[in-house]
Amino acid sequence: MTAEVFPDAGLFQRGAAAFAASVPVEPADDGFFGPASVTWRVHADLSAPVAGLRSLLLQALHPLAMAGVDQHSHWRDDPAERFASTAAYVLTTTYGERAAARAAAERVRRVHERVRGTDTVTGQPYAAADPALLIWVHAGFVDSGLAAAALYGTALTPAEQDQYVAEMTAAAELAGVPPGSFAEGGAPASVAELDAYFEAVRPSLTTSTSTDDIATYLLGMPPGVEPELSEAWEILATAAVISLPGWARDMYGFGTARAAGTGPAPGSVPPGRDEVRQVLGLLDALYLGEPGVLEARQRLTLRMREAERELPR
Amino acid sequence: MNEPILRVSRGLTAMRLAARGGARYAANAPRLFAAAGAQRQQLRDDLALRTAQDVADTLGTMKGVLMKIGQLASYVDDGIAPPARRILGRLQDSVPPMSAELAASVIEAELGAAPERVFKEWDPLPIAAASIGQVHRAITADGLAVAVKVQYPGIAETIAADLGNVSLIRSLLKMAVPSQDVTSLIEELRERIGEELDYLREAENQRLFAAHFDGHPTARVPKIVDELSTARVMTSELAAGARFAEMLAWPQEEKDLAAETIYRFTFRSLYELNAFNGDPHPGNYLFEPGGQVTFLDFGLVKHFKAGELDPLIHMIETLVLRYDPEAFRRAMEEADFLEPGAPIPTEDVVAHMSLFYESIRHRGPRTMTSEYSSAVARRYVDFKNPLAAYAKIPRPYVIVQRINLGLFAILGQMNATADWRGLSEEIWPWVKAPPSTPMGEAERPWLAQLALRRDR
Repeated sequence: MTAEVFPDAGLFQRGAAAFAASVPVEPADDGFFGPASVTWRVHADLSAPVAGLRSLLLQALHPLAMAGVDQHSHWRDDPAERFASTAAYVLTTTYGERAAARAAAERVRRVHERVRGTDTVTGQPYAAADPALLIWVHAGFVDSGLAAAALYGTALTPAEQDQYVAEMTAAAELAGVPPGSFAEGGAPASVAELDAYFEAVRPSLTTSTSTDDIATYLLGMPPGVEPELSEAWEILATAAVISLPGWARDMYGFGTARAAGTGPAPGSVPPGRDEVRQVLGLLDALYLGEPGVLEARQRLTLRMREAERELPR
Repeated sequence: MNEPILRVSRGLTAMRLAARGGARYAANAPRLFAAAGAQRQQLRDDLALRTAQDVADTLGTMKGVLMKIGQLASYVDDGIAPPARRILGRLQDSVPPMSAELAASVIEAELGAAPERVFKEWDPLPIAAASIGQVHRAITADGLAVAVKVQYPGIAETIAADLGNVSLIRSLLKMAVPSQDVTSLIEELRERIGEELDYLREAENQRLFAAHFDGHPTARVPKIVDELSTARVMTSELAAGARFAEMLAWPQEEKDLAAETIYRFTFRSLYELNAFNGDPHPGNYLFEPGGQVTFLDFGLVKHFKAGELDPLIHMIETLVLRYDPEAFRRAMEEADFLEPGAPIPTEDVVAHMSLFYESIRHRGPRTMTSEYSSAVARRYVDFKNPLAAYAKIPRPYVIVQRINLGLFAILGQMNATADWRGLSEEIWPWVKAPPSTPMGEAERPWLAQLALRRDR
C-alpha cells in the first residue's frame, strides 16, 4: 500500500501554500480566535507536526470515524491531498477571517452530509455530521495540541490549557457541533471536561485492520527516502506514539510484538525532548524555505505583538 | 511517489547544493538591516528578538547549526538551484535583529553598564548582521569610532546543545557533503563553532592579523579595542568602504587592484602567519579605490602547525615549479591526499589535479572567471571521476580547499586579471621573488619593517 500512497505534489508544498493562504495580508477581522488567543500560539507551535500525527492516530480509534474515512475518503489514493486539505481547513479556521473560516466550514459540512453508511467492523450505522463523531474528532485534535505542546513545544500553563480548550469550542461549532455546554451535548470547554469526555468515550473505541493500516502508514518510513533521514523520521513517529495516552498506546499495542514494525520497538529508548525538537526544527527550517511561509509567519507575529501591546497580560 | 518525504529530501538536496553554492546567506545577511524605507524599518523593529527565549526559539532547534553548516560547507557561486538559495536564504532572513533593549542587556552583562554609559555615543540600531550577533556603531570615551559586535544572548548554549545531537548532524552532513569524512567534519564543525562563539578567540585572531598587516600599503585589518571586548562583545575600529556589490560596478582596473590585495593578503597570511582567514565571502570586505581593502570578521581562522604546510608546498613544487608528475604523485600520497598504489595512471592524476593549479602554472596575466571557479568547484566534488575512490582531503587541509574555492569564486566574480604566478612567487617563502607589480613595490617598506620586527 505505501508504495503507491504519495502522489505527485508534496505535502510540504501544499501545507506551506495552505498556511500562506490562510493568513490574510490585510485582514478584515481577526477571525474566530484572534492574535491574543492561545489557539494562535498552539497551532503555530514547533510541536504541531507531532500534534497532527498524534491526532490522526487517536481519531482512528473510533470505529465509526474510521469507517467514514475508510469508506468515503480517498486517503489511500492520495493521502498527501487528504492531509493537506485537513491542514488547510485547520489553518483557515484558525488564522483566516470569519468569512473565510465560515466558507471553509460550510464546504466541509456539505461533504459530511454525504458521508454516511454502516461500519463493517461494528455493524453500526454512522453519519459524519453526527455531533457525537464531530466531537470525537474535535476532542482528539484539541487533546493532541495540548499533549504535543506539553511534551515537545512551548508548554502552556494550566490556565492557558483551559483557555485553549474553551477557545476551540468555536472551531467545534463551526464544524457543526451544536452550541451549548459540554453537559448539554456541546464540545468540552475545559481540560477537566476533555478528560471526562475521553473517560466516557473509551468503551466505544476499537482497533481493526483499518486502524493498523493507518498506523502503519503514518508511522512507517515510506520507501525511497534517503536512508540518512530514517532516524529523524523514526524520532518523529516515536514522539507521536509517546505523546498518546497510555490506553491508546495499549490499544494499538505499541511497544509490543503485536505492533511489530510499527511504532517504537519493544524496549527501545524513547527520544528525549531536545532530540525531538531538533528534528522538528529541521522540518521547520525546510518549511520556512517554502514560498510565503516566512512572510505569513511575520504577519502573524506582528499582529500577535500588536495585540500584546494593546492588552498587557 | 513517496512525495512528502521526497520533498523533505529534496529540500536537503537543495541545501546540499546551497552548501556548495556559497554562503550567499551570509552575504545577504545585512540585507534585512540595510533595506531602506520607513516601513521596512518599522517591520524590522516589530519583529526584533526581545528576549533570550526569542533567540532560542529562532536559532535553536538546529536552525543556528544548519546555518553554520551551510556557511562552512560553502563557497562556490555557480549552479545553485533556486530552491537551494531559498532554503538557506530564508533561514537567514528568518533571523531578525535583537531589539535595542536586548542588545543593551548584553552590553550591560558583558561590560558592566548600559551602552550609553560605556560609550560616549551608542547607536541602538544595528548596522549589520554578524553570524550569531549584530554590529552596532559607537564612539568610545576616547572619541574613537568603533564597531561593536554583540552576540545573541544564550546562543552559545543553544548551539552547543544542538551540536550534541551528533547523529542528526551526521545525517545532515552525509547528505550535505557526501564527499567528506563526516566524523572529521563534525569535529571541525564543533571546533569552528566553538571558536566563533568565543569572541575572545576572534579578537585574538584579529589582533594577530592586524599586527602583521600594520603598515601594509593596501590591506587593512581594524584594530581591536581590548578593554571593550569580552567573550560575547567585541569592539574594533570602525572601518569604512564600499561593499562588494558596489565595488563590482567600479572600473576593471580598480577591481584588479582590489583582487591583488585580496590575493596578497590571503597567501601572505598563509605563508607568513601560518594562518588562513577561513571566511572569504563578499560580506567580509570593504573596498576603497586604489586597491585598498579592509578585511572584517576573523571568526573562522585556521592555524597551521609547523610543518603542516610542507606537503602542500611540496605539491606546488613538484607540479608547478618543476613539473615532475611522479614526484607530484608521491607528494600527494605522502600527504594522504591519494591512497598509495591506487590503480590510476599518474598522467590521469596530474590531469585531474592540474585544474586546481591552473592559475599559477604559468607566468603572465590571467583572468579569473566564474566559469573557472565553477569548474574547480565541480571537479572538487566530482565523485564520478575514477580518482575519487582513492582520493581524499586530509582534515587539516579541508578548510584550505574550501577557502581556495571561496577565493576563486570571489576573484571570478571580480573578473580579476593578474599574473597570479608572479604574485605567488613573491609570496612563496622558498622563492621570495622580487616585486612583480607596483603594489609589490609598495609593499617593500612594510616587508622591511616586518623583517625588522622579526629580528627584534
